[in-house]
Amino acid sequence: MTPAASRTNGPALDVRGLAKTYTTGLFRKKRHTALKGLDLTVERGEILGYLGPNGSGKTTTLKILLGLVFPDAGTGTILGFPLRDTAWRHRAGYLPEQPYFYDYLSAREYLDYAGRLFGMTADARRDRTARLLETVGLRRSAGVPLRRFSKGMMQRLGIAQALINDPELVILDEPMSGLDPIGRRLVRDIILGLKGEGKTVLFSTHILSDAEALCDRVALLRAGELLRVGDLAGILGTDVSHMEILVAGLSPEAVGRLAPTLKASRALGERWRLEAAEESLGPIVKAVEEAGGRVLSIQPVRQSLEDYFIKEMGAARTEAEWELEG
Amino acid sequence: MGRGSLSRVWAVAANTFRETVRERVLYNLVFFAIIMTLAGLLMRQLSIRQDEKIIKDIGLAAMELFGTLIAIFIGVGLVAKEIERRSLHPLLAKPLTRDEFFLGKFAGLGFTLLVNVLVMAAGLAITLFATGRRVDPNLAKAVYPIYLGLLLVVALALLFSTLSSSALAAVFTVGMVVAGRFSDVVRNMREVAPGAPTWLVRFLYYALPNFRNFDFKDRVAYGDPVPLAALGSVTAYAAVYIAVVLLLGLSAFRSRELS
Repeated sequence: MTPAASRTNGPALDVRGLAKTYTTGLFRKKRHTALKGLDLTVERGEILGYLGPNGSGKTTTLKILLGLVFPDAGTGTILGFPLRDTAWRHRAGYLPEQPYFYDYLSAREYLDYAGRLFGMTADARRDRTARLLETVGLRRSAGVPLRRFSKGMMQRLGIAQALINDPELVILDEPMSGLDPIGRRLVRDIILGLKGEGKTVLFSTHILSDAEALCDRVALLRAGELLRVGDLAGILGTDVSHMEILVAGLSPEAVGRLAPTLKASRALGERWRLEAAEESLGPIVKAVEEAGGRVLSIQPVRQSLEDYFIKEMGAARTEAEWELEG
Repeated sequence: MGRGSLSRVWAVAANTFRETVRERVLYNLVFFAIIMTLAGLLMRQLSIRQDEKIIKDIGLAAMELFGTLIAIFIGVGLVAKEIERRSLHPLLAKPLTRDEFFLGKFAGLGFTLLVNVLVMAAGLAITLFATGRRVDPNLAKAVYPIYLGLLLVVALALLFSTLSSSALAAVFTVGMVVAGRFSDVVRNMREVAPGAPTWLVRFLYYALPNFRNFDFKDRVAYGDPVPLAALGSVTAYAAVYIAVVLLLGLSAFRSRELS
């Protein structure tokens, strides 16, 4: 049993006042403040999504936690141990952003190497490696040199190496990056599986739909400061922002006549998707039927995380733009 | 250093050995061994009396030169490349400390060079044997100090690779090795630059690694005796110098931000 396994009370992660300023340039020094006194707590057994646009300080936070960069100020504990203590690392796993692994090794060899760093026995390494390669869908590529791996395969291997020691806390930096839809679904399932096993997951992401699908709570970071932390319902509210009405059999002219009561309309082949305020729903349905159309469905729409994010971040930038910057 | 720590150093060393072997170092060795053997056979045709000395001289000098090149050009990449490509990040998130990683890299390349030197020494012995000469066990008294010198080059390459990019680290390490080969020139610097302060000359002479200390090639090739005490003192010199350079490297690596 590793020393870290003994401290089971308190939050999985708790940091107070983390601050970091980078200085670049040899002669004309430029200072860039990446974090301004960050306080963050991750409870045991929860999935916390760490969200923010590029340059907001997400990766810096994770690198400070892992001792890759050094904070100017702040303290914290992970699994009950001080940040600088390496004892908690026995019980934690980490996936870096855009991971690179040795191209001269195969996936099996890399996982074996990772297991050795945890002091695992040869049998334990072999079993765990085989199981993880199966889980991340790399079993058939286990002996292929990593130089022949695609970006998505590297990402899958990255997730496998983060789980080699069956960690209590998993820290994932952009885990969906570079993955195709099947890979993203796989990673989502892995993260939910970890939660099912009682593990704690902290992951940063740009992809807000993933955060909505997975997280118990989210922390929103803007320019090195924590904007908001909480569960999604608390942040987004439960109020309906508008109604979405799917109709068929309407001419463009008929939709044009409805326009003053609509927030938006879009043709989807022979159907139309109409958006309107909740109170104007009755008159719109009546008008559709009078114009010879059929109402196929009516759905209340709540504010999405993306809506909230774009509103709070100031600029009306889309998720795709943030992705492109990455 | 506990047992867990040692096993992690060993894991990094073993992986470094695998890395260097897969970087085609062994192909270089085989190629070198063939060239050396051919060169020895050629000498047999050209020379009358001095041929055995020439074979030994060329063999040992080539061992030192090729070993130094491998130590520099693989050594400078060992840490710098890991930082540049960020392959270090997932490793340091594990219970591996920076000290363990750094020492593991040193041990791994040290082991590769040991294999390298042994293969080259075997190549030299085969050449001597193939040309009908006695395989001189005293060759080991020249090979051993060469290996110590190579370990020092690795330590220097690692130090510079924690401080800068692999390209700059290569320039600095080559500079140190060349300066260290000609340290007597530094000692006699005042003959060409009388204005140079004595303290500076003395400081440079003692601060630079004196690679001539590791040079027993001529004595062995000419059949001069090499007392064990001389090998003992060069071992002590290497141990102290390597320890100091490794400590400097560790200290630089501990404080390096990996952003």
